[in-house]
Amino acid sequence: MHLSLSSLLLLGISSLVSSSSLTISIPVSSPLPNPHVLPATTHATLTTLPFSGKDHILSASLTRSASFVFHDLPSSSPDAQPESYLLDIRSAGEYVFAPYRVDVAADGTILGVWETFRGNPWDNRGAVKYIVDVAAKKQVDVVVEAKVIARRAFYEERAKFSPLSLVKNPMILLAIVAMGLMFGMPKLMENMDPEMRAEFEQHSRSSPISGATNNAMAGGGFDLAGWMAGTSANPTANTDAAQSGATGRDTSGPARRRG
Amino acid sequence: MRLQAALFFAACLSPAAAIYNDEVNHIDFHHALLGSPSPDSTFFLKPSSTSNASLLYTISDKLLVGAINPRDGALLWRQNLSRSADSPPRGGLLRGVDGNDAVVGAAGNYISSWSAQDGKLAWENRFSEGVVADLELLELEDATATPGVRDTIVVVGSEVSGIVRRLDGDSGSTKWEYKEDSGDIPFQVSSSPTEIFYISLQSALLKGYKIKVTVLDPVTGKQVRQQVLSSESDVATPESVLFVGANIASPIIVWTDKSQKSLKVNVIGTKEINSVAIDNTSGSEIRKITVHAAHKLNALPHFLVHYATEAGAWAEVYHVDMKSSKVTKAYQLPYLPGQSVFATSVIDANVYFTRVTDSEAIVVSSASHGILGRWNLPKSSSDAALHAVSDLVTREKSVAVRSAVFSEHGDWQLIRNGQIEWTRNEGLIDAVAATWAEIDAQEGLAHELEVEGHDTIYGAYVHRVKRHVRDLQYLPDWLKHIPGRILSSILSDEVTNLDSFGLATPVIVATKNGRVYALDTGNHGAVLWSVQAVETSQWDVKAILTSPGTATIYPNDGSSVTLNVSTGDIISRTASSDSKLRSIAVFGSQETSSLNTVGVREDGSPVTAFDEVNGFLVTTSADSRVLGWIAKDNKSPVWEFVPPSGQKVIHATARPAHDPVASIGKVLGDRSVLYKYLNTNLALVTAVNEKTNTASFYLLDGVSGKVLHATTQSGVDTTQPIASAMSENWFAYSFWGDVGSNESSAKGYQLVISELYESPFPNDRGPLDSASNYSSLHSSIESPPLPHVISQAFMIPEPISHMTVTQTRQGITTRQLLCTLPSSNSIIGIPRPVLDPRRPVDRDATAAEAEEGLFRYAPYLDFDGKWYLSHARDVAGIKEVLSRPTLLESTSLIFAFGGDIYGTRATPSQAFDVLGKSFSKLQLVLTVVALGVGVAVLAPMTRRKQVNALWKAT
Repeated sequence: MHLSLSSLLLLGISSLVSSSSLTISIPVSSPLPNPHVLPATTHATLTTLPFSGKDHILSASLTRSASFVFHDLPSSSPDAQPESYLLDIRSAGEYVFAPYRVDVAADGTILGVWETFRGNPWDNRGAVKYIVDVAAKKQVDVVVEAKVIARRAFYEERAKFSPLSLVKNPMILLAIVAMGLMFGMPKLMENMDPEMRAEFEQHSRSSPISGATNNAMAGGGFDLAGWMAGTSANPTANTDAAQSGATGRDTSGPARRRG
Repeated sequence: MRLQAALFFAACLSPAAAIYNDEVNHIDFHHALLGSPSPDSTFFLKPSSTSNASLLYTISDKLLVGAINPRDGALLWRQNLSRSADSPPRGGLLRGVDGNDAVVGAAGNYISSWSAQDGKLAWENRFSEGVVADLELLELEDATATPGVRDTIVVVGSEVSGIVRRLDGDSGSTKWEYKEDSGDIPFQVSSSPTEIFYISLQSALLKGYKIKVTVLDPVTGKQVRQQVLSSESDVATPESVLFVGANIASPIIVWTDKSQKSLKVNVIGTKEINSVAIDNTSGSEIRKITVHAAHKLNALPHFLVHYATEAGAWAEVYHVDMKSSKVTKAYQLPYLPGQSVFATSVIDANVYFTRVTDSEAIVVSSASHGILGRWNLPKSSSDAALHAVSDLVTREKSVAVRSAVFSEHGDWQLIRNGQIEWTRNEGLIDAVAATWAEIDAQEGLAHELEVEGHDTIYGAYVHRVKRHVRDLQYLPDWLKHIPGRILSSILSDEVTNLDSFGLATPVIVATKNGRVYALDTGNHGAVLWSVQAVETSQWDVKAILTSPGTATIYPNDGSSVTLNVSTGDIISRTASSDSKLRSIAVFGSQETSSLNTVGVREDGSPVTAFDEVNGFLVTTSADSRVLGWIAKDNKSPVWEFVPPSGQKVIHATARPAHDPVASIGKVLGDRSVLYKYLNTNLALVTAVNEKTNTASFYLLDGVSGKVLHATTQSGVDTTQPIASAMSENWFAYSFWGDVGSNESSAKGYQLVISELYESPFPNDRGPLDSASNYSSLHSSIESPPLPHVISQAFMIPEPISHMTVTQTRQGITTRQLLCTLPSSNSIIGIPRPVLDPRRPVDRDATAAEAEEGLFRYAPYLDFDGKWYLSHARDVAGIKEVLSRPTLLESTSLIFAFGGDIYGTRATPSQAFDVLGKSFSKLQLVLTVVALGVGVAVLAPMTRRKQVNALWKAT
């Protein structure tokens, strides 16, 4: 590296005007299918520490061809150290670009462009985007491709009101099933074969659960549905009446009600 | 890979409280500003040859190039040229012609061409030879040129030489160059269909300037001929030349003689100087002469001269005879009192002039004085119009005109056929200070209650009954509004009207040029009123104090202005003192609830001894010292903090005045408590050493001046912003950190967060534990005890230019660190739980830590899109962000100013005390109705069934 560096420096002296330009083009990628949608405020910056009075923050605006061009990278005295810049592309919009490391020699030629990782040591270089070819003498204009890594989501999605979501609610589902049973059962029973019906009635009567339910519905406790329907003004009176008639209904009640 | 891991972790974070799509423009407002448009670089232009609608383009005094939609005044794009220009320019230039799909702007030595449609860069150039004196777009089309592209002629001038260059419209490269080393002042450039004219000013032997016209061939750039006009007796300064006709069929140079008795007109390219007498019938002295002519090659060679006196204005229209180059007066637009502005528009070859006065707008053709259209204007303010541009449409016999008029106080209005379509308050770009006003709606009631409190029981009772009877008069009104309120609350966006919770308080903004605005935050930041408080151009406002009904503004000269916040009337003023103030300290006095101020001089000493008994004051001085003062002594400081030699104090911050702490400790996963180090007297001082590129942060105790904590960061770019903020028991700062000699450290922007605790151990209060009483000055224990500081640093993707913390009423809501991101023009609120320095490093959080909300530390903190308070908006040039609590604990008001104006609400822990938009009242009502219908349907059925059951049972 050092060897190549010094030879490069020599090159720089001999060619004199060799301050190169760096072009970053934005390719079509899956997060950014159309690079032309980037807002006009998108810009690329090269940043490093201030050194020998040169520009240490360079900025390039987005061009019509969706690229950034840094003309005339700063060159200092030939014996100076090469400068290492952090290349950021920032857009006021949603797109997030990968940061690059750009090394520029003292004479303004680009030594290399690498991908870099934030929060990692600076010498941890990623994929090589460009490296100077010492053998092929000078290449003054460097073109690298930017990499879009993500798209930011600024907005929270608001839960939309839809009838379907209402139906998905378990309470509503229960209610619908109950309603279906309530209205559907008598119809079903009517259409049933008389023998089958008799068997079913026998079955349901003997079932302990349904018997208990029937008991509870007809006999014991406070008849809420009845009270709400307004069949009796006084709930206690209603209960008394229900209890007095309970003996006759214990066995034959359900059958008659369904009949 | 690690980057992806970091991104993954950032994505895993629970979104704090992002903005919903339908809340945009409802909870926030944004004024995207440009600044004062430059009079000769503002124009209507069709952005491309295919489009019919034209846009309004300008370059402002802030060197912002922008395109505005004339329909609604919305900013379509803008670019800041001041960032690219090296030398301080005197003003910007912007040119555009029909048929070119780009506009060309120049500032200083920088010239750039921007796509007219979307503001993207076509080409740019920097000249090492000097600054751009003038530029024109060549309207004539080459046979070889691509359509939609016009070449640029630019004049670059320095002390010794003037260079004319023709720049290619596609690439900006130089096609030819004409250089002149005569030492003349490069002045302007103009073109006719066949020639290019370079006009320079040659100093005459004794005094004044001769106008030199060099005619150049547009194709080769060779000099065709040269003419010197003997104007030295009239032209004393370059400003004396009133007009150089740019790009018209017969370009002209206009100036007047010294006594302003006659107008001198030269048709460029000829030697002859036409002299036309100025017919001044107004009787008063002419103050300003402006020439308006078309900027189009095929337009008729007519021009209008606008004469303005102190009290009124008139205009005269002249025609140029192309063959004989004679100038004749065609007609006069009569003298009218008040200010007039004129604008030129061209349709085909016809030239039309629009005159906008205080009361009306009229359109005349350049050929005859018949008025084609006249509209009465709505009653305008006292603002004097400065300049205007207009866009004209003719139909059969009628005309329609829209004019963009810029007025003296910074309002840019579009008047379409006599109606004001929109107003842009460009003056707000100079905002230097702002605060929320306090409305005195409840003051009457407070007074009545006070009376009741001081009366006898019987008297108070009678007073109250009387008050309630009096209040009955509002009952009918109140009842009348109920149906409307119910309806609107069902249909409106917000479930409850939050204005009464302090969410719609006006903001008082003071600008650099002495104006004060009140913005209605409840109504998209509309300007309620604006007044010229002081006639100045450098109003350095240090503080604005508000009390119910009034606001008092304190600039740095020691004076003050008190205004009525609801009307903008100036209530009182105090005279300025001699000494220039560095800052103004605000403190609440003990007896009353009002706030007092004390000025601080450049050397850091208070102007007056302040009367606060227990008060102390920490000031910074111009020579990088931090001083501590106590009451009744403004001569000698109690303590003095001087940073190590070579370091310069650049910033000092303290906890906000309103910084309630909801809990004095932090409950850990194992139910033990880590006690916060809560000291209201903390000050965080930032000092930089520019030579060694280091930044030091000192945490001082304001009472004793003791350094509680100090840290130094190396490799810091001291030219980039170093922001810091402090709240509760933590502080944060950010900077550009660079690699050292070896490259094992990271390069980029960093954000450091530090938390202060009383002790490193849970359930331990350190030396304070046994202390029954504690004072930082007189104490038996070590005074004050040092905090236990835990810090973590994060790499962040962007610089932060300003930091502050959200404020809520009780401090229960989690705080957000509000950061201004200058490079992506955004404002972001980073949730504090993310910035917890106790996040486990290099391991996953244990169950107990996860219970606390801690998760694994990642060195790179990517900014989640949900943190962006300004979401997709381009909020540029923000210098300061303010936060204010509201009556709702969940909500904090945010207001940003300095360039654009942006206001929003932040809800760092979601809007937990408000029924948001997602709570649908309509749905609730519908559910209740549906249940009611269900009951109504089922009740008869049940009843019938029960009746049947009873009958059939027996």
